[in-house]
Amino acid sequence: MNKNSTRVLGAAAAAFLALGTLTATSAHAATTVTIAFQGPLTGDAAQAGQDELAGFKYALAVYNASKPAVKVNMIQVDDQGSGSVAATVAPGVAKNKAVIGLVGSAYSGASANSFPSYIAAGLTMVSPSASRVTLTTPQAPDFGGPVFHRVVGNDSVQGPALARYATKGVTAPAVYLVDDQSPYGAGLAQYTAPGLTKVKATTVGTDHILPTTGTDWSATTAKVLASKANVVIYCGYDVDAGAFVKSLRDGGYTGVFASGDGSATASFAKAAGNAAAKDARLTEGDTPFDNVATAAQKKAFTAASGVKVAGGYVTNTINALNVFLTCIKQGKTTRAAIATCVSTGKFPNFTGGTFSFEAWGDVKGGAPIGAYKVDATGAIIYVGQA
Amino acid sequence: MNFSVLTSQFWSLCLSGLSLGLIYVLISLGYTMVYGVLRLINFANSEIFMVGTFATVWVETGLTGHTSNSNPLHGFQLVYTLLFALVVSMLASGLTAIAVEFLAYRRLRARGTNRLASLISAIGMSIILSESARILTHSRPQASPRLMEKTSFGHIAGANFRIDTVLVVISALLMFFALDRFVNKSRLGKAIRAVSMSEENAKLMGINLNRVISVTFLIGGLMTGAAAFFFMTVYETTKFNVGFNLGLAAFTAAVLGGIGNLRGAFFGGIALGLLETMSAAVLGSQWKSVTVFVVLVLVLLVRPNGIFGEAIQQTRV
Repeated sequence: MNKNSTRVLGAAAAAFLALGTLTATSAHAATTVTIAFQGPLTGDAAQAGQDELAGFKYALAVYNASKPAVKVNMIQVDDQGSGSVAATVAPGVAKNKAVIGLVGSAYSGASANSFPSYIAAGLTMVSPSASRVTLTTPQAPDFGGPVFHRVVGNDSVQGPALARYATKGVTAPAVYLVDDQSPYGAGLAQYTAPGLTKVKATTVGTDHILPTTGTDWSATTAKVLASKANVVIYCGYDVDAGAFVKSLRDGGYTGVFASGDGSATASFAKAAGNAAAKDARLTEGDTPFDNVATAAQKKAFTAASGVKVAGGYVTNTINALNVFLTCIKQGKTTRAAIATCVSTGKFPNFTGGTFSFEAWGDVKGGAPIGAYKVDATGAIIYVGQA
Repeated sequence: MNFSVLTSQFWSLCLSGLSLGLIYVLISLGYTMVYGVLRLINFANSEIFMVGTFATVWVETGLTGHTSNSNPLHGFQLVYTLLFALVVSMLASGLTAIAVEFLAYRRLRARGTNRLASLISAIGMSIILSESARILTHSRPQASPRLMEKTSFGHIAGANFRIDTVLVVISALLMFFALDRFVNKSRLGKAIRAVSMSEENAKLMGINLNRVISVTFLIGGLMTGAAAFFFMTVYETTKFNVGFNLGLAAFTAAVLGGIGNLRGAFFGGIALGLLETMSAAVLGSQWKSVTVFVVLVLVLLVRPNGIFGEAIQQTRV
């Protein structure tokens, strides 16, 4: 065999291999795509992320069991609910070309810090629970458009709802409003305060605490007791809310304790203990899965996720993933096609009917805010709309 | 500013501040004892505290099988369980402190390395301990069950004398005075003070330097472990990074009082606890840290050795 024949054979083999790889890639792209789930899977806020992840796994299992033309894989992205962690994990997800859409992040700060990577990569996000108003405000520095969407009502809806629910049935409500100085907590408090005026409640005091593990709540508790408040509203997260309500009850406070969706997880009662958590009023921009799912769906949920009782934002997470699955069913399997589909399409709502998105990423017509109460066993019970 | 809170809650705030301050005192002893003999800050002391809190959780849940919603214990069973948790917490922290001394200080000291090397190796130990706890607990907080019902002995001048607060105040005071007496009166205590005054002279007097330093770490660790137990009794939650803020506060207390000085740590801890509680109540919780560090800077400007740094120099460890 001379040198020329070797070259010709080599070129032919290379062309054959290249063609084979190309064919295999095209076939792979057409039959399997990946959707990422991003949220806090470890850390203080892990309960919220694990709850949502269970909903994600359930909706994905239902879809893949229907023998679709395009199968969907998942990857889990743990941002610990922290903006700084999110900023370090998001670039890796953005670079992963197999990922064509992302459910998350669960938290506003983590979402905002992920935006630079996802906007640059054209990766569409649908969050089940990130509620900071400015994420969908075009003039704001943390605006997530055009990639960011959410299926939860934002804080301008939740704040007044929290004020309404916290003071419901309380004679001459005197409210002490505390926030944790986080972007989420301070934001929710900002929208709760005018809501209190609307329901004719008196704000008898405010405090802005920066909770860490082992924070001493005694000074805030003393102020609440001195103010004679009969309603305390805490805008912050579950573990801290649990520690706060425990300090309040130990200090002798007997009034209403209310908090927003950041506290509506099982971690709240775990941190507080059932006795202190009992009767706490919580709001969440979600309808509980157990209230709308059939017995068969509940069984399938447990089988898919390994979780016996659905936690917070499961329904929203199912809706968020179904946005992508609806588009994939329509043959949209690239980031660009998904982006167009999400911003223009109509999607099934797990509670019935359909929904679509406004231009800046919120659900058209607003999303409902649910009212919850903690019972004597620490379970979070849905009591209706807030 | 909310001065009105002082009219009805002054004594209640004092009691909370005193209880918090005494926890700081016990942790700061870990810093001040080591500084006394080595002239080095033991940056791993915050993680020695963290180990103590996890040891308490382990005894109260793993060993007794209690959950966060179990009924509180009573009588002998309560006393026995709490004492056992206290001893295990102290031992866990004490042994961790000895391990830190052995791994981060002794070898470097034997080789006559730069003091900075020991400082960095202590920071390294601190990170190793903290990150190991983070990985083992998946960064999640761990709650200890309420073994003791938080009953009140009654209200005096508006202050709620709750059993856990009273327990912390009395026990921490007893521990501090016992340690103070030990350091000032016992043979070993005198050896620790001798090393603290002059390492070279102590060596010439036949004092076993390594032994004295190990004992100093052990005592500091035992006190920090006791603080961890009292912390868990009052606050009932811990996490891998629990030591960071408390360690920083205790270190600040030690500096405020005069680091290397036992009684300085005592007054510094109490002053800091009261200052934190009062500033959070009057100015708002968001001003707590600002107030504390403004006061610290002002004190150091006037008295660079801390409030009691010079006045009670003789009692230095």
